[in-house]
Amino acid sequence: MIESAPNHDESLSADMPKTPLLDDETPFATMMASFDDAAQRLGLDEAEYRVLRQSDREVAVSIPVPLDDGNVTVFDGYRIQHSQGLGPFMGPLRIHPDLRIDELRALAAWMTWKCAVLGVPFGGSAGGIRMDQHAHSKDELERAVRRYTANLLGDIGPERDIFSPDIYADQQVMAWILDTISIHARHTANSAVTGKPPELAGTAASEDAVARGLFWILRLAMAHYQIGGGSQEIMIQGAGIVGGNLARLLHAAGRPVIGLSDVHGGLVNRQGLDIPALLAHRKRHGSLKDATGDFERMTGKEFIAQPCDVLVPCAVANALHSNNAELVEAKLIVEGAHGPTSVRADRILEERGIPVVPDILANGGGVVVSYFEWVQNRQGLAWLEPVIEGRLKRFMAEAWSATRALQTREKVGLRAAAHTLAVERVAEADRQRGLYA
Amino acid sequence: MTTQPAIAPSSANPDEFNPFLSMAEEFDRAADHLGLDEGLREVLRIPNRELKVSLPVMMDDGHIKVFTGYRVQHNYLRGPCKGGIRFAPEVNLDEVRALAAWMTWKCSVVNIPFGGGKGGVICDPRTMSMKELEQLTRRYTAAIMDILGPDRDVPAPDMNTGEQTMAWIMDTYSMHVRSTTTAIVTGKPLSIGGSRGRREATGRGVMISANEALKMKGLRPEDTRVVVQGSGNVGGIGAMLMHRQGYRIVSLSDMYGSIYNDSGLDVNAVLSYLEDNGRLEGFPEAESMKNAEQLELDCEMIVPAATENQITSQNVDRIKAQLIVEGANGPTTAMAARMLDDRGVIIVPDILANAGGVTVSYFEWVQDRMGYFWTEEVVNSRLEQIMVNSFQEVAETATKNSISLRAAAYIVAIDRVATVYRLRGMFA
Repeated sequence: MIESAPNHDESLSADMPKTPLLDDETPFATMMASFDDAAQRLGLDEAEYRVLRQSDREVAVSIPVPLDDGNVTVFDGYRIQHSQGLGPFMGPLRIHPDLRIDELRALAAWMTWKCAVLGVPFGGSAGGIRMDQHAHSKDELERAVRRYTANLLGDIGPERDIFSPDIYADQQVMAWILDTISIHARHTANSAVTGKPPELAGTAASEDAVARGLFWILRLAMAHYQIGGGSQEIMIQGAGIVGGNLARLLHAAGRPVIGLSDVHGGLVNRQGLDIPALLAHRKRHGSLKDATGDFERMTGKEFIAQPCDVLVPCAVANALHSNNAELVEAKLIVEGAHGPTSVRADRILEERGIPVVPDILANGGGVVVSYFEWVQNRQGLAWLEPVIEGRLKRFMAEAWSATRALQTREKVGLRAAAHTLAVERVAEADRQRGLYA
Repeated sequence: MTTQPAIAPSSANPDEFNPFLSMAEEFDRAADHLGLDEGLREVLRIPNRELKVSLPVMMDDGHIKVFTGYRVQHNYLRGPCKGGIRFAPEVNLDEVRALAAWMTWKCSVVNIPFGGGKGGVICDPRTMSMKELEQLTRRYTAAIMDILGPDRDVPAPDMNTGEQTMAWIMDTYSMHVRSTTTAIVTGKPLSIGGSRGRREATGRGVMISANEALKMKGLRPEDTRVVVQGSGNVGGIGAMLMHRQGYRIVSLSDMYGSIYNDSGLDVNAVLSYLEDNGRLEGFPEAESMKNAEQLELDCEMIVPAATENQITSQNVDRIKAQLIVEGANGPTTAMAARMLDDRGVIIVPDILANAGGVTVSYFEWVQDRMGYFWTEEVVNSRLEQIMVNSFQEVAETATKNSISLRAAAYIVAIDRVATVYRLRGMFA
């Protein structure tokens, strides 16, 4: 099935290393290290795993763009397509001046595993344009995005590779990509792009999709670990699109959120915070800094050290690290952010017997709803919000029970179980499809 | 290659044991009933398109062997063609043609939007390695690719082909068109666009048909002793589902023999015994008997779910059942069927009774096209809806015209195709 597998890392093309490479300088190697473990656990054939370790296809394009002042400049663009065993590729676009190919490789592979855990029929991809969008006009950005899209036309589209937004490429960028693909194809190709604005064939429940998925995983994990039967003490680190929305959903469901934090520190009230008031304040003033109300204010470090049932880190990567993991007094951690627990913190928490529900499972609601958007575009039918909610709940619950089943079978932590599940599903599809001659 | 009729004139051969002639006879009778003119009969008899391909394959020992493959598209008026691909030494063009026509009627009687197709490769899979089979499958796919497609022709498994074969077809096609194309083929593994509930589909359809037939005789499942010939994908699963509904499954069989218990078998126990031992013989709590005697047991219903020509003029006089639900293709010869009709025995014909498989294949295609996959409950309830509606339509046609369910099923099926032909007209 592999059409071209560029040999991008000499150290990986040799026999699979017995000890995983841990090179902080290459995000791809770091990310893949945990999957090497999973592959060994599954006893995957070395050749089989070597296929999974490399991208199916890597496309580099140059993007000549006429600038507003009449000069022409050339940007670099990439699209990395990791593995198409389970279906068309799907992944974000990143526009950034310090774009590194290796980072895109890691991101693409990460998308493959994430889709596999959540039962979404996509392989992973990631793309980027090396460009400082703040140093260019909107027109120049648009020309760059359109030319990038046109250069990739043979490799992208609804059944080939679907774009999703990223922090560096917003809804407007998605709309330009969609328009360029549609005009070239001479038909509307809504399902080539997800994360579209509602007016442009976007989906309901897209903005708070991650929080919605997190909400269900949180409930399942709490029930499983028998945490917080009567009084539930939930603390959320981060009050943005993930943390803030999760707080709102929990509050609306009658589950008290006793702590909420942002970059300025944490707010705690053991009886439960007035979440609607805090979120309204944040919306008006941009942060929780000057919020008033019935709560105790504390530093981020103190916040993490509060005893509680569940701590949900929804802010930044490595929020829990080797210097603060010892302080955590939660009974359960559910990762809302991407990589909020460092590898060393993960080990400390494991030794202390605090279970961690990993990001790849817990924050997968975004990918699931992106997939729903693609389905709706293919059907030409917009699902109502309750339909999406019901189906999202089913996907999250199925991913949870599949991960749990693997945890029981392999006697490992939830993170290792989720990674093993991902590799197993992709390897199984690859095995069934076979190697295309 | 000259295109020959897929449906031979029924007078050509008086051989009772040729199921294709039985089909031809039904076709003629239905066409007479519908008053089809000779031109339209000709259109429906002759396949729309036939393709013969040679398939060179590098065998494991290094020599090249050239295989012959066929794909016949009998009729694509009602939608893309649908039908299995078989790998067998006895594959021949006449058989592929007849099976393709059979698929046209089967898809039409349950009103799913497909025409009929069939494919085959002359080969002996038992003597071939997996690698050789993969090479053959991929080469065959590439060779017939021009007439395949989710909107053209959608193959499925048949004799000696299965999930793995379908996965190779899907992969080959997808790589050629450089797009994931799950809807190119059905019967795929779940991980690459298969449907939940497909493995049970034919057996489930048989169970639903049995339920409907029972109502015609005013019987209840608890009072119905059922003899099931076969114990595989259709008979075994059908028996298990009927057992769950309260039927008394008194006998099951495999290729070695039959087992019998008049107070009813615990079908789940029988099937796990079969899985452990490879044969039914020796199952405790049942007596063994020869397959020839099985169909003559005292019972209310027979589900022949093994192979063709099981109820014939030779044994029809000794058949005691009042109901026959055809799980297999062509298990009752036309001659035997006429005698059973005269005795008031109800036969649910193969093209209706075992259409659960193609119906869920259709569901797989629908799910692949939208990229969203239904839960097993949704698949099962939609299957039930289609099977019950089709049964009722056939039963009404039978009652109205005082004819057998089989004759009615062919009338319903052929009328649908003929109506579409008139609506679409002749493409210039």
